Amino acid sequence: MLSLIWLLLALFVAFPLLMLGIRAATDNGTFDLMPAINALRQTNTLRAFLNSLLLATLVGVLGTALGFLFAFTVARARVGRLMAWLLDTATLLPLISPPFTTSIAFVFSFGPRGFITHGVLGWENAQVYGLRSTLVAEALTYFPLAYMALRPMLTAIGGNLEEMAFSLGSSRWRAFRTVTLKLTVPGLANAFLLLFAASLADFATPLILAGNDLPVLPTEAYLQITGMFDLKGGAVLSLLLLVPALLVFLLQRRLVARRSYVTLGGKGVRASAGDSVTPKLRWVLVIGCMLVVLFIFYLYGLLAYASAVRAFGANGTPTLANYRVVFTQGMPAIRDTLIIAAIAMPLGGLYGVLVGSLVGRVRGGQALELVSMINYALPGTVVGIGYLVAFNTPPFLMTGTAAIIIACYIFRYSPSGIRTTIALLAQIDRSIEEASTSLGAGTATTFRRVMLPLVLPAFFAGLSVVFIRSMTAISATIFLVSIHWTLITVRILENMTELSLGPAAAFSIFVIVVVLVVTKGLELLLRQLSGRSAQLMMVERE
Amino acid sequence: MRHIGPSISRRLVLGATLATPFIRRAAAATEVNAYSIWPENYAQPVFNVFEQATGIHVNFVRFSSGEALARVIAEKANPQVDLLFGGPVETFTAGVGKDVFAPYTSPEAAALPGRFKDPHGLWTAIADDPLVFMTNTAFLKQHNLSPPASWDDLLNPAYKNMLQMADARTSGTAVTRIFSIIMANNKDENAAFAYMKKLRQNVQLYTKSGGGGTLPIGLGQAGGGIFFIVDALYTRQQGYDVQISFPREGIGSAAECIALLQGARNPEPAKKLIDWATSPAMQSLYVKEKINFLPANAKVQPDQTMVDMLKNAKVLEIDDNWAGANRERIVARWVAEVLNS
Repeated sequence: MLSLIWLLLALFVAFPLLMLGIRAATDNGTFDLMPAINALRQTNTLRAFLNSLLLATLVGVLGTALGFLFAFTVARARVGRLMAWLLDTATLLPLISPPFTTSIAFVFSFGPRGFITHGVLGWENAQVYGLRSTLVAEALTYFPLAYMALRPMLTAIGGNLEEMAFSLGSSRWRAFRTVTLKLTVPGLANAFLLLFAASLADFATPLILAGNDLPVLPTEAYLQITGMFDLKGGAVLSLLLLVPALLVFLLQRRLVARRSYVTLGGKGVRASAGDSVTPKLRWVLVIGCMLVVLFIFYLYGLLAYASAVRAFGANGTPTLANYRVVFTQGMPAIRDTLIIAAIAMPLGGLYGVLVGSLVGRVRGGQALELVSMINYALPGTVVGIGYLVAFNTPPFLMTGTAAIIIACYIFRYSPSGIRTTIALLAQIDRSIEEASTSLGAGTATTFRRVMLPLVLPAFFAGLSVVFIRSMTAISATIFLVSIHWTLITVRILENMTELSLGPAAAFSIFVIVVVLVVTKGLELLLRQLSGRSAQLMMVERE
Repeated sequence: MRHIGPSISRRLVLGATLATPFIRRAAAATEVNAYSIWPENYAQPVFNVFEQATGIHVNFVRFSSGEALARVIAEKANPQVDLLFGGPVETFTAGVGKDVFAPYTSPEAAALPGRFKDPHGLWTAIADDPLVFMTNTAFLKQHNLSPPASWDDLLNPAYKNMLQMADARTSGTAVTRIFSIIMANNKDENAAFAYMKKLRQNVQLYTKSGGGGTLPIGLGQAGGGIFFIVDALYTRQQGYDVQISFPREGIGSAAECIALLQGARNPEPAKKLIDWATSPAMQSLYVKEKINFLPANAKVQPDQTMVDMLKNAKVLEIDDNWAGANRERIVARWVAEVLNS
């Protein structure tokens, strides 16, 4: 089993990267670094590289701040049930939406005739393209990752430690500073790196919003290939992207590995939250969150509106024509996407649980974990171009099949399943297995009765992430779709370049609904199977 | 039997589902695969008529011109499609340079003028598509402007940050525009680039696709831009209030083409599609299906409103050989001197 996994990793992780490197460093079969060096020496490449780093840093800071605001409010400000639901929904939407959705809404809200800048504020010459909009759009798309990373941590801290600080006579501010914030620092750093990596890899937002003066690496690599027919140049640019991405990934691993700052094991400690914020601060927090929530709902409202009128901005007559396009012309893409998602989902879930349970139990487990994470750590552009280069010629001829897309999804989006499995298995002592065995249960029984229920949530988490990404990812798969197998997200991009904004919006709404239904269904199923209400929504960035 | 039935069929379905992704979809008796550069709402209706007439089914995916050509080049060793359908001639001349097309001369080609066909039969025109200036009517009124009638009109400071046009790295529209500007400057490249650098000051955004700016202009997010007439008329058909005008110095026009790929797996049906697309059978559908191209085939009567609109327009001929030979250099110069200036 182990050697099979290694073989698969060699084929679908190492081989494409190797081929990408070869493509970047050879010219017509001979080794020649000059073209690569020339590409690197262009000032535009350097500019794109620096822009990417700048944008990623800013998104990391802003997104982490927003995530902390939300997490702190939920953990401390005693929000009501409705408010909690609003916050959860607003943080869920950006994570399960197809690309471009918020970017498009931005364009229509903030341009010279934008609904907000012109319609509400009355400005004449507002400009929407550039760093500001790209930054805000990306931060809004990815801050839920920070929220999800920080919320459990803040909840856990609030339970006992802050209380102790209070009973020792500490003021609220002092408790916040010396206990809460200090204990959250590794979490904040982790959230920052998550967002940094997400922004570094983001292709869709800058494609729409960056404008002329903010070239970034993923879009430049895409333009190099699609516009200049320059696969080599694209390979070089995407390899450049690889350096900071891997750096951040390794940094994050070290950070998470040293995570010993919170004891999550304590049961039944109910946080008597609320003592840590004054009523006045509570209002500030709630209003701050509500503004963000309202803005997110506004963006999606705009999308829903665009999907339901004849011509956005010119003809507001309600119509179902756009949805008709989705369910007629769009049917092949929908069918392909669902078939691919349906196959990738169980395979990816299984693969995640398998690798995850092997990591702690075999020699070379650490290396196995690291290699299995590579495709996830890399920006989609790199993975997509790698697959394009590696699987277009024999012996591994796969272009034009759905298998290449499925393989891409499995090896790129299973890491959350892997990590959840590792985390779950780490929680229980080996002795439980041993106890089961020494009580007379066979290996099979032990696996079925002890291990399986334990990793079931991880399996479902894996399923849900692979499904969500199969429905929404574009950065890698845009290079892998073919005449025989196409995807909804690529249709959305095509619709937008065809100026069919209505169908693009209708497709997006369709994707959001399908993803919501399927993930809720998975959650219910897991509850049925395991008999407890497990939190399933393990969402990852694209 | 009841107790066996469901389990067999379930197994069958499961097996079939698991097997599908690993095979290319089984080919029907006669079908042909194409990358279409024409949008779906143009390509689908004409392919439907083709299927009714010949029984040949056309599988197609739509990509913008740059992307379609990039794919064809990347897949050269293992072609996924038989045809490249639609898209401006400069994409096809670039493809000739990359050696991806196979020669085929349709019976209609003999009657076509030189700029509508490759001398070696590597591509053939199916339509003609002039560039136009498109401006937002409300924007013009607000700034007391009349529709631009000269290239220099676009340098007016009133347009500052209010023009949108395509990026030459991805869009055939943009490359045709740049060639037009060079032609309008009597092939004086330096003068053309000096003009484009000045124009850059007024450009709000270079879009990835040729028509990317039309919707923002329709909405008033931008004031104007340079587009193919097909996109400008589509914007108008959707109900946006825009003006279409031409520069008196002249503007370029691009033939829309079709080409057979080297190593095509279905060469015979592909050739039938080329014959059909270059003939009045397809091009007479343009008026009926509201496909805003001019027919390339002289036997087909073009749409009257388009004829009236173009009556006073001066269309410049772009030398395809020169354009094909200089495309890469000119685009690179544009990126270095205009885009990144």
